[in-house]
Amino acid sequence: MLGLDRRAWQHFDGVLFGLVLLLIAMGVANLFSATHAGTDGVAPEFQRQMVSIGLAAVGLSVALLVDYRRLERLAFPFYFLACLLTLSTLVLAPVYKGNQSWLVFGPLRLQPSELAKLGLVLALSRYFQRHPPEQLHRLRDLWGPGLVIALPVGIIVAQRDTGVALLTLLVGATYLLFVHIPWRAWAVVLAAGSAGFAGLVRFALEPYQRSRILDFLEPGRDPLASGYQAIQSRIAIGSGGLLGKGFLEGTQTQLRFLPTQHTDFIFSVLAEEWGFIGSLLVLSLYLVLLLWGLLVASRSKDGFGAMLAIGVVAMLFWPAAINIAMVLGLAPVIGVALPLFSYGGSAMIANLIGVGLLLNVSMRRYLF
Amino acid sequence: MNDRLAAAGEGVGGPRLWLAAAAIGAVFGVFALRLFQLQIVEGALLSEQSERNSIRTLRLEAPRGDILDREGRVLATTRPAFSLEVLPSELRRPERTFRALGQLLDEDPERLEARLGHPRGRARFQPVRLASDLPFEELARVETHRYALPGVLTDVSPRREYLDGDLFAHVLGTIGEIRAEQLEKPEYEGYSSGDVIGQSGLEAVLETRLRGEDGGRNVVVDVAGREVDLLDEVEPVAGSPVRLTLDLDLQRAAVEGFAPERPEDPEKLGALVALDPRTGDVLALVSRPSFDPNAFAGGVDTATWRGLMHDERKPLQDRAIAGQYPPGSTYKAIVAAAALEEGVTSKVSRVFCPGSFWFGGRRYGCWRKEGHGSVDVHAALVRSCDVYFYEMGTRLGIDRLAFYAKAFGLGHPTGIALPEEKGGLVPSSEWKKRRFGVPWYPGETVSAAIGQGYNLLTPLQLAVAYAAIANGGHLVKPRLVMPDLPPGVTEEPASFVSEVPVKPENLAIVRSGLMGVVEEPGGTGARGRVPGVQVAGKTGTAQVAGLQHFEGLDESKIPIKFRDHAWFVAFAPVENAEIVVAVLAEHGGHGGSAAAPIAQKVMARYFEKKAEREGLLQAGTQAPVPAAAADEGTVPARPEARTAHLESEAAHARP
Repeated sequence: MLGLDRRAWQHFDGVLFGLVLLLIAMGVANLFSATHAGTDGVAPEFQRQMVSIGLAAVGLSVALLVDYRRLERLAFPFYFLACLLTLSTLVLAPVYKGNQSWLVFGPLRLQPSELAKLGLVLALSRYFQRHPPEQLHRLRDLWGPGLVIALPVGIIVAQRDTGVALLTLLVGATYLLFVHIPWRAWAVVLAAGSAGFAGLVRFALEPYQRSRILDFLEPGRDPLASGYQAIQSRIAIGSGGLLGKGFLEGTQTQLRFLPTQHTDFIFSVLAEEWGFIGSLLVLSLYLVLLLWGLLVASRSKDGFGAMLAIGVVAMLFWPAAINIAMVLGLAPVIGVALPLFSYGGSAMIANLIGVGLLLNVSMRRYLF
Repeated sequence: MNDRLAAAGEGVGGPRLWLAAAAIGAVFGVFALRLFQLQIVEGALLSEQSERNSIRTLRLEAPRGDILDREGRVLATTRPAFSLEVLPSELRRPERTFRALGQLLDEDPERLEARLGHPRGRARFQPVRLASDLPFEELARVETHRYALPGVLTDVSPRREYLDGDLFAHVLGTIGEIRAEQLEKPEYEGYSSGDVIGQSGLEAVLETRLRGEDGGRNVVVDVAGREVDLLDEVEPVAGSPVRLTLDLDLQRAAVEGFAPERPEDPEKLGALVALDPRTGDVLALVSRPSFDPNAFAGGVDTATWRGLMHDERKPLQDRAIAGQYPPGSTYKAIVAAAALEEGVTSKVSRVFCPGSFWFGGRRYGCWRKEGHGSVDVHAALVRSCDVYFYEMGTRLGIDRLAFYAKAFGLGHPTGIALPEEKGGLVPSSEWKKRRFGVPWYPGETVSAAIGQGYNLLTPLQLAVAYAAIANGGHLVKPRLVMPDLPPGVTEEPASFVSEVPVKPENLAIVRSGLMGVVEEPGGTGARGRVPGVQVAGKTGTAQVAGLQHFEGLDESKIPIKFRDHAWFVAFAPVENAEIVVAVLAEHGGHGGSAAAPIAQKVMARYFEKKAEREGLLQAGTQAPVPAAAADEGTVPARPEARTAHLESEAAHARP
């Protein structure tokens, strides 16, 4: 049963869909500029990203059409499958770009850790539907969700993909905001969380990642390595001014001073070419999208839908916040991409499936 | 849906959701403020500037540290090298530019243009190198015309220079651009592609000490790519100099020893190791043929590389540490020490040599067909009697022999700080069972006892084994880098790793036999004599497979590549030895005639230098002498006034 009845379509969330379309359109234009730099035609990265967006649109449609309540039963199977796929990279995948998180199928390269993030959202939503968070009062009630979070995070840490591991942990932790445990229990959770974070910094971080954190604390420590990106990013953003230099006109961008301008530093391309006005517009679009997601959560009539919506908001919020903070020089450069904007197919697919779920929950809020 | 689940939905609609919304709003509020600060407050200035200019970050390469010999003479240094580059995006009227460049550099303009190729896309913003290591006059000519040649750039970068060409090629090693697979390794953390690193030899081993810290500068360039303003600069820090234990004079003397006697002859192949048995210092480490490491300093071209790779004389192999040869008769000193220590013979017991030895129904000949008559251990060493050692081998058995050979440092790497070192091979019954699955035949012990059969060792291992005989039983770990002495300490600490399980009086018997080899009439090593010093040594011949075809032929009639390898290993003075020299002359024939003169040259040079030093000391002059300088804790003098060719500032001065 696809649940495609008329009532559902009547309540199709046009605002949400429009916001996402607008963000993707701006992202595509921006990526074109970032990858265009100096080429005569269309860069291969751009072409690949268009294919990814096509695949992601299919994912979005499927996530939208199947009634989300039917997905409840599939939540844990999907979760375990995603974890298994992620685990398989440790055996199958070669180390690529310093970590081991890619599965390669001919021309396709999949990063299953992105799917594991989505699987975690589904699994936790299912878990909290069974055990409503406001009924969790004791610290030991957190064992279950804790384990559900720990499995994918542990696997991704083993892949040495610290950025995605951190994001997955944050997405999972977001759910804990909604449990009703006493403040003393919170202290324990926070202590455990800080200990885990310290352990991650001490043992899981590669030396270059640790040096990036040091670079952040002391800018100009190393003007050529990781600090280089931060300095160049700042120059690019600053030179954008109020109105920007215009599409394809950013000199810093077009001369390719930023090596990762199409991935982690995509926002600085936007800020240089579209200025303060353009950047503020994109920030606002993100803000409205996230708040709208919370509205969908609050209007949902069942726990699974609400939890799903919260999970998708977390999945979009954390990378967006960390990435923009990093590009603006407010956080260390730790290699987190900007959702819907950065080059990267697996993330695009996972994020658009998430958006599909959000639309799904939104349009079926009256179907009871 | 039951009520409990429906209630869950309402639960999240509560104040916590508002909290989340407020938190998200706050984060984005901070972002908006930060953007305002960067783009409106600070950005006004930058955006005006970047309308005309761009900011570039340039890397300032740090010069590598110098490598010095034990007396502080420079062996490898860094000098500035100028290169000519073209930035395609800035090139105006290419035809005219290339014609002008052709005149200035005295080159064919079309060839210069061909080097540029047809960069498209983003490659147009990358400078293309047209000529590297420009002579200074050409650089000056280009510089004076540069304003008429937009898009033409000159660049200066530090370049490694090995002052003695091929003299130290193997031990110093080579440098080259870091390879992709090296970048993935944790020890190269902090390196980026294009970095030049030590790729072999000491350049690789000492990478962390020799490497400096690159600097960088942020510059404003105008539309023509010219630097118009310097924003900030971090100076590069030069790498630290490293003083080696090698002695330039002894290395030179050794290489001269390998030079052909007549200019039309081919160069002699082989290796030489000189050690100080008191400390383990490596005084000379030579492998011939060699190559010019300067060819690698600016990136080796394919033709040169192929030539070196495919040269059948294998110039890239470091024979001194990685060439593995049968020890031949040089092994007899170790067999003698083992036999004395195990009590299967004594200083006075004798063996009769009729010219051959029968074992297991097979005849093993002595090299002297007429036989040596009745010989004791001294005579057996002096005259290199095979039969005596056949007998000792069968009395000891292969496994006791292997035990002593390993105790003398054979069969495993000596631990010298060079990654290419090989360990050689000491056969034992257990080894043969493991390697071939068949038991050891007692007959094989007979040939093993005179250093033939499976035995393999490197010239360095042989030097280490003889150093232990010379210094009373201390096994050294050869040392190439001078240790840093704490202030007030003038005596170099010895680099000993273990003790050889042979009593000093037995080693003394072996030493006396080895002295006879060189100093007594009828000894095989007479050509190793050095006037004024008592020398002990041993000759050896390592058979090359397939020699049976040439048995009985005069040596000079055998094609060179089928001739035996010649060994000579010696130390001097016999008591309290100061230098051990091991020489292998590939296809040299007999050790006494081919290898001994080379070792003799090195020892003679050593004692000549010593006499000069002592003469100066006795004369009471103030001439700087290493020993005296070391007392004051300063770097020893440089007798040849060879100083570093440039100061670090010059290395990165820009034209």
